[in-house]
Amino acid sequence: MSGASLTSNQRERRLDAVMSYSLLTVSALFALLPVVWMLSTSLKSESEALSLPIHWIPQQPTIGAYVEMWTLKPFALYFWNSIVVSGVTAALSTIVGGLAGYGFSRFHFRGRTSLLAFFLATQMISGVLVIGPYFRILAAVELYNTLTGLVIAYVTICLPFAAWMSKGYFDSIPRELDEAGLVDGASRLQIFLRIICPIAVPGTVSTLLFAFLLAWQDLLWALCLISIDEKRTVTLGVAFSVGEFIIKWPMLTAASLIGSLPTIILYLFLQRYYVEGLARGAVKG
Amino acid sequence: MRSGHTWHDRHLGYFFVLPATLMLVAVLVFPAFITLKLSVTPEGGSGWNLTLIHYQNAMRDPVLLQTFKNTFAFVAWSLVGHFVLGLGLALALNQALPGQTFFRLVALIPWTIPDVVAGIIFRWALNPINGCLNPLIRMFYPDFPAEFQWLSSPTLAFPSVIVANVWRGYPLVMVMLLAGLMAIPRELYEAAAVDGAGRLKRFFHVTLPGLSTIILIALALDMVWEFRRFALVVTMTGGGPGTLTEVLSTLVYKTYFQFFTFEYASAMAILMSVVLFILSLPYILLVGRERQ
Repeated sequence: MSGASLTSNQRERRLDAVMSYSLLTVSALFALLPVVWMLSTSLKSESEALSLPIHWIPQQPTIGAYVEMWTLKPFALYFWNSIVVSGVTAALSTIVGGLAGYGFSRFHFRGRTSLLAFFLATQMISGVLVIGPYFRILAAVELYNTLTGLVIAYVTICLPFAAWMSKGYFDSIPRELDEAGLVDGASRLQIFLRIICPIAVPGTVSTLLFAFLLAWQDLLWALCLISIDEKRTVTLGVAFSVGEFIIKWPMLTAASLIGSLPTIILYLFLQRYYVEGLARGAVKG
Repeated sequence: MRSGHTWHDRHLGYFFVLPATLMLVAVLVFPAFITLKLSVTPEGGSGWNLTLIHYQNAMRDPVLLQTFKNTFAFVAWSLVGHFVLGLGLALALNQALPGQTFFRLVALIPWTIPDVVAGIIFRWALNPINGCLNPLIRMFYPDFPAEFQWLSSPTLAFPSVIVANVWRGYPLVMVMLLAGLMAIPRELYEAAAVDGAGRLKRFFHVTLPGLSTIILIALALDMVWEFRRFALVVTMTGGGPGTLTEVLSTLVYKTYFQFFTFEYASAMAILMSVVLFILSLPYILLVGRERQ
């Protein structure tokens, strides 16, 4: 096909495609290079990571750093702490937030609008506003340096999120189902537990997973409420490794990658739900 | 048919909403009041002997002023970066070109990396001796200094942190805008084409109006998030050199836990939260009006 025979429409499309591919390629490099560099470093030995000139592909690839992170530092313990804290927070927030979400979705009680605005506003609060009192209160009731204390703190992030996210999900379930239940003589609680909850399983699972990720990624709270090594979370363990006098880069990059695995996997699988949730007003903290 | 249940429903609504409300009051509202109280308490004092001295000090504190400026610049440039890159990529990905899925997944990767790790990645990539950025630049400009210190540079440390934050944050704006683009009916474009509208015209008369709400929501949300950004700065620069890359979250944190001046830190936290509340109003109004 010669250039002269192209219609202006086809020419436009070609130009669009060329521009799009250029942008996509450049930004793919921007997105990938830092991650590739991290992956490459994690597969190097300490001496290779510090040798010049730099190599993008490890000359003597080794998984030494991945072994070292479990032995040199108690990363297994950090993982366990993160899993416990994020899991308990997510479950608690999803249950209590799910109840609230259903209440907001189905009932028109006095003060509903203000209360909704309150839930939305609490998502906007920065943890920085309350870390001072938390530090003091938790120290006073001997919950400083405990995972329980951390769970309480994470509820402040995850609960408003879970309430809004599940409200949006319940809104998408037809009200006629509730009304059919009422006609059949079921109580509101029975309707919620027997009819609505089973339908809401996919939405509840995604709420649960996002709440889990929110807690998993936190650094601020863990930094303020945990000062002993045995109670550190993964993010805290990683952040502390970067502050050390000599940074072991292969081990740190390996630990960072392993610590990011839950977020990498879940976000890639759940991105669709996440965007839908955002459009409904559910927010990441 | 619902009228028979109205009285009952009103009270049941409270039953469902109450546990979450009480929990939030206990874990969030109550501590926030303690912060407020602390911010008007004399240093080391207690009881109800109140003072505004910490707020007066805050007004005269050059570090706090600088940090407010830093934070606003950080938020503004991050938003510009997220929007330009996010919109560009959303438009490119919306054309259903071959390889689209691959590019989409790759573009999403920075979003999946936690803040803490994003800061570490960039700190290591920008490492003057063993990092990958300086050698990359020298491939194209051999005259570039071999051991350029990005994160100790008074002029380039702050822009480096912003670039890292653009990297971390553009994918979310991109997916939101892409969802918005996909929701614009094809017929609108076809009708515009029939009317003889060129590409630019279609972009300004069909695409942008169709996207306006989602653009506002994305930017309003992003503004709130970037204003609170903490972990990325902590692991990438820790606020340094000096206080050049300090943002409000890191400054308040340090004032609490490194300088241990709790009362002054509380005043800072209140000031920060007031600004944050004002910044989040657009989002609360936008979403509140749409979803009752």
